[in-house]
Amino acid sequence: MSKVKVKKDKDITIYCDVTKCVACRTCELACAVEHSKSKDLANSIIEKDTPRKRLTVSAINGKSISVHCQHCKEAPCVTACMSGALSKDEKTGATLQDNEKCVGCWMCVMTCPFGAIVGDSAKHIAVKCDLCPDRDDYACVATCPTGALFAGTKKEFEKKLTKKKK
Amino acid sequence: MADHVIIGASAAGVAAAETLRKNDKKASITIISDEKLTLYSRCLLTYLIAGAIDEEKLIFKGKDFYEKNNIKTLLGKKAISIDPKKKAVTLEGGTTVSYDKLLIATGATPKSVNIPGVDKKGIFTIRKIDEARTIIGMLDGVKEVAVLGGGLIGLRDAYALGKKGKDVFVIVKSPHILSQMVDKGASGVIASTLEKNGIKIMTGLAAKEFLGGDSVNEILLDDGKKLKCQLVIIGKGVKPNTDIASSAGLKVEDGIKVDKFLKTSDKNIFAAGDVAETYDVARQANRINALWPCAVEQGNIAALNMLGKEAAYDGSLSMNSVDFFGLRCISMGITKPKEEGYEIISKSSEHSYKKFVLRNNKIVGMVLVGDIKCAGVVSALIKKGIDVSSVKHILCETKFDYAKIMPLVKKFSDKFKEEEYQDTIASYKP
Repeated sequence: MSKVKVKKDKDITIYCDVTKCVACRTCELACAVEHSKSKDLANSIIEKDTPRKRLTVSAINGKSISVHCQHCKEAPCVTACMSGALSKDEKTGATLQDNEKCVGCWMCVMTCPFGAIVGDSAKHIAVKCDLCPDRDDYACVATCPTGALFAGTKKEFEKKLTKKKK
Repeated sequence: MADHVIIGASAAGVAAAETLRKNDKKASITIISDEKLTLYSRCLLTYLIAGAIDEEKLIFKGKDFYEKNNIKTLLGKKAISIDPKKKAVTLEGGTTVSYDKLLIATGATPKSVNIPGVDKKGIFTIRKIDEARTIIGMLDGVKEVAVLGGGLIGLRDAYALGKKGKDVFVIVKSPHILSQMVDKGASGVIASTLEKNGIKIMTGLAAKEFLGGDSVNEILLDDGKKLKCQLVIIGKGVKPNTDIASSAGLKVEDGIKVDKFLKTSDKNIFAAGDVAETYDVARQANRINALWPCAVEQGNIAALNMLGKEAAYDGSLSMNSVDFFGLRCISMGITKPKEEGYEIISKSSEHSYKKFVLRNNKIVGMVLVGDIKCAGVVSALIKKGIDVSSVKHILCETKFDYAKIMPLVKKFSDKFKEEEYQDTIASYKP
């Protein structure tokens, strides 16, 4: 479990260490539960709107990664959004989404280089990582049992990688 | 303090104004538009007609955008000429506005048709809010609608009116819809979805004359038959508004010619959006890509160059996304190569279709119908010109996603320079 309780800032973001990810999909489950009404696994399953995960674990050649919105500095989705639903938070660097403005044109799906935005057919809006607004850390990072998901600065992440090598 | 003037207040113009202000708190910024209402998204007008959104939701920037960013506006005033020597723009009515750097973002005008009766009432293109309002206002008295054009624009218009419960007839000259984009098979997937929802596709036909009194009530087709309709939408694409640039002596071909800094043939004048002819990364030639994402991108880049920051534009990539009654379609780059030397990888089923166009093992085009999940990942591969030999065999798979290109990100790390790729590059060990 991650002890780090940091939220997105200009220099802070969520990283995934591919060498540590074992594709257990705990992050997917935690993400879906966090975005349910009850925020509780047992109760969330029976909710009318089935809770949706906002990240995906996928693999190639036995190496897996947990992919979520990277809150890109130069975000192609924000450029492509023709309804003004997506924008950048000047202070934190987060890519924000206004569900009220989203019309489901899928321009963001078309341009996200990480495939981290998906279209919700039922609600007809785009769905992506919203950085867990209801908690002071991230559900995916907090529950990752191997420490593959990490929230912090780039330097901290790099330090973490080199430490492991020794 | 430099005077920045922008002609046009849609995607490119507004993006430029915002970027100018972000990078220069003091500069004087003036935006000119022939429309009174700006900051609304033209691409959403069909959503408005379909009744999916109200006018409030058309607005893509906060209403206080101009005040908040201290941008002077001259709205409802058409710019009619530019004097590059005096560095001044003249508006209708004679007002002149002088500039240090000028951005032409005059956009485009829908193509009309040269057919007798085209000036009758009830015949529209959809580009400006006034047109959309007029169409909405007359819908109660409309039972049948004819849409001319079977490309994405025409079909999007048809979809909007079909949603309103009208009997929609799409008249297409080609043997099938979306002929510039997909082959017959994929077009069939889309056509059947449209037909199932009450939109009739009439292929191999063209309108010959609009009949009726003051208002249109019938179309004479080239097979001699007549089609009843009280509303006609011409959805045949757009042509750039280059007049003001050509009369100012700027170099214009299809659109306004610009270099990689989006500078026109005059060093103080830039162009962006639907009016600009930019380098197309897939086609490796200059082209107008009259699309929202390209316009915003170009507006941003042009603004940086107006400030003297020398920001080079990587080039544009044509791309579009449509959703017809829940059937999602995305097209990108070269979708139907006409010359030799391309490889096509495709897969189709009853409800979905995927097609990738490759040149020298690099993806240069794509069509996705149904499952569109991988579109963005592929857009990056096209833009960056990545050799995809090693993943060619899995391109059409449902599971093709970012994880599948990790080896490519690692191998071509010099092309994946963005910060967001660095954790993959650092921690992926093949």
